[in-house]
Amino acid sequence: MSADREREMFQSGDPEGESGEESEGPAPGRIGEMSDENCLLKKLEISVSEAEKRSGKNAVSMQETYTAYLIETRALDGQSELQNSPLDSLWRRYSEFELLRNYLCVSYPYVVVPPLPEKRAEFVWHKLSADNMDPDFVERRRIGLENFLLRVASHPALSHDDVFHAFLNQESGWKELLNEAGLQLKADSRLKSLNATFRVKNPDKRFTELKHYSDELQSVISHLLRVRARVADRLYGVYKVHGNYGRVFSEWSAIEREMGDGLQSAGAEYASLYSMMILVEEEHYSGIKPEQQYLFYAEALRAVCRKHELMQYDLEMSALDLQSKKQQCEELATGTVRTFSLKGMTSKLFGQETPEQREAKMKLLEEQIEEGEEQLKSHNVESREFVRDAWQEVERFKEQKNRDLKEALISYAVMQISMCKKGIQVWSNAKECFSKM
Amino acid sequence: MSGSSTPKSLPTSGQQSLHDIKHPLSCSPSAEDDAAGENGAVIIESPSPDLPNTEPSSLADKDLSLPNGTPADTSSPASSSSLLNRLQLDDDLDGETRDLFVTVDDPKKHVCTMETYITYRVSTKTTRTEFDLPEYSIRRRYQDFDWLRNKLEETQPTHFIPPLPEKFVVKGVVDRFSEEFVETRRKALDKFLKRIADHPVLSFNEHFNVFLTAKDLNSHKKQGITLLSKMGESVRYVTSGYKLRNRPVEFATITDYLDTFQLKLGTIDRIAQRIIKEEVEYLMELREYGPVYSTWSGLERELNEPLEGVSACVGNCSTALEELTEDMSEDFLPVIREYMLYSESMKTVLKKRDQVQAEYEAKAEAAALKREERSTVPTDVEKCQDKVECFNADLKADMDRWQNNKRQDFRQLLMGMADKNIQYYEKCLTAWESIIPLLQDKQEPK
Repeated sequence: MSADREREMFQSGDPEGESGEESEGPAPGRIGEMSDENCLLKKLEISVSEAEKRSGKNAVSMQETYTAYLIETRALDGQSELQNSPLDSLWRRYSEFELLRNYLCVSYPYVVVPPLPEKRAEFVWHKLSADNMDPDFVERRRIGLENFLLRVASHPALSHDDVFHAFLNQESGWKELLNEAGLQLKADSRLKSLNATFRVKNPDKRFTELKHYSDELQSVISHLLRVRARVADRLYGVYKVHGNYGRVFSEWSAIEREMGDGLQSAGAEYASLYSMMILVEEEHYSGIKPEQQYLFYAEALRAVCRKHELMQYDLEMSALDLQSKKQQCEELATGTVRTFSLKGMTSKLFGQETPEQREAKMKLLEEQIEEGEEQLKSHNVESREFVRDAWQEVERFKEQKNRDLKEALISYAVMQISMCKKGIQVWSNAKECFSKM
Repeated sequence: MSGSSTPKSLPTSGQQSLHDIKHPLSCSPSAEDDAAGENGAVIIESPSPDLPNTEPSSLADKDLSLPNGTPADTSSPASSSSLLNRLQLDDDLDGETRDLFVTVDDPKKHVCTMETYITYRVSTKTTRTEFDLPEYSIRRRYQDFDWLRNKLEETQPTHFIPPLPEKFVVKGVVDRFSEEFVETRRKALDKFLKRIADHPVLSFNEHFNVFLTAKDLNSHKKQGITLLSKMGESVRYVTSGYKLRNRPVEFATITDYLDTFQLKLGTIDRIAQRIIKEEVEYLMELREYGPVYSTWSGLERELNEPLEGVSACVGNCSTALEELTEDMSEDFLPVIREYMLYSESMKTVLKKRDQVQAEYEAKAEAAALKREERSTVPTDVEKCQDKVECFNADLKADMDRWQNNKRQDFRQLLMGMADKNIQYYEKCLTAWESIIPLLQDKQEPK
């Protein structure tokens, strides 16, 4: 499956111009340029502004409850390609986002497609409910979906996709467009069974490494998130118990004369400030964490690797096929059987074929070989292009990842710093109270 | 022991005389022992001005034990002692006039065929004339401290005796010979002796002197086996359902106070224990958390440094937390426990006071019935009244002292706790702040 063909089919832009640009061969700066100049986000403001609980009948007439999200778009300048769009806001539900993402994954196999927020609450802090209808969960998902749209819209290739545009501004026509594209999807149904490993003879080392990396990234991030949730739980416990000092100190102060005031005010310090620290922690942990996004990004990375494997497999299969046909052809021409085969057996058993028969067979084989060579060539080209595009994409992804994770680490450190400062404040105030006892 | 507790010179200070005045309520068995031993002999010889504890007072007056004194006489030691308390309190604040310093240190394990035990070195420095030498250093084990405390309870029934650490560890899992346990106990024993040494009355107790100086304590211990229930008589009045008529509001308030105080300390103790538990669990998670960043840094070439930084930072925070938790369980909890035990033993003393008062009231009542016949109040009743008054005066003085000590102790304890926590947060703050530049420097070139 060729990425270029893909783009011709779905890109709104001029196919001629696209292909012309492509034929120039590897253009390292291409993706960067595109994201700078033609990025959709420059022309369109996208937000998922609301979530609403709805209930309706599904495909099999079963009553179901779901959450719909309001997507609002606003053109930033007059010359927007979405100028004529009839709607600037519409509702989509999570499953539609899933459809869009699947479509993008199949259509742009070399792209590390931005992940959707989790389907079900995972690695969340105990304080947050894992219920899909829980307002906190819905809110986090709303932010996650918005992030997804923004990332797609800022992607050099994905942001120009027609189906994506339709998703943003066509209430009804979108599904039809998707179904048309669905023909293409079917061709790639094999991708669905990608979990099975293809036995690739000559795997690309870089992709093997990348796959290895995404596996490890996924395991380390999920471990991290799990432990971090436990750490947060414990810390919450520590704060909570400290808050109890507040009560007991103020109770105790009631029976003391000289110490009374000091205890009373220290108690109040504990109670108020520890509850503040708990709030800070809650706020921090209820938000969406970039680390969590990268957990899903790891999956997207792996998908690219698998697609490459599949492509490599196709390539190797056609090379193998071609080779065996060439061998048959040679055998027929020389009349020798180099390898012990069923064919050799049959020819021995049933005697030599007539020259006419051989001629016809040769001809057929030669045609097939020609076809096979053609196919191999196209596979090779396809594969090269894929590797080139995918690698650019991966580089782009890495850059984005390093940036995001650094930001995440900074915000985590900043949160820790503010907690430490609060801690110092609580205890300094308490000390002040105690010193007056 | 070579006449260790014998005051060789004439007592000159008020404290000196206090030492010699056997409290009217103190039990006589000790006096008997002393009289029998060379110690007692010396005391008799000693030229103390008002020598109360001579033989006659012993057996016959066991419970009444007011040595042929007049009411005027009895009230004076009490009031002087309370005055002295106040003086002593003021002294404590500058700590200059202290003349008895006791420390407990250097625990050693002894393994014998029969038992294994720990001894502690008890070192004394003093300028007091009751001591032959200015310095002593002897080794004592827990049961010796226990003996001392029992003796003090026996001979100073009207005073609050500081508590000893619990004999048995509450949660039997603790190793009795572990370093932490021994150290915690050492601190508690040290505190116990220091409290006695600073007490204006208890520090002059002869058993305390023996405890601090005697080479062989066992010979002294054997002398005091006459186990007589001192308060046996008084208990009768209480257990027979006698209700005090005029229980002073003051003491009722103290008892109520101690009940609540103990309750609140219990809560604080539980909270502190839970905090420690939560912190230990938090620590365990942190110990796992840090290395995850390390593992991750192995995957990321460009983020290697910041991720390692975060990992090290989490490590630093866990070390700081571990220190905090240790401080809490080694310094904070024992003080809370000491005060809980203190309150418990104080309540016992308060009950004894009630018993003494009950005895007095019962006798006074009986006397009142007879008064119609005999117009004079029997000396017996008078003695009881004196006893109650003495008891009350001693307790009030001790309570004032105790309140003051408690305030200072808790002020110090709570401020210390605050300091430890501030230090902990400051360490964490430094650790987290140190990784910010690591993250920012890397970001700028991009």
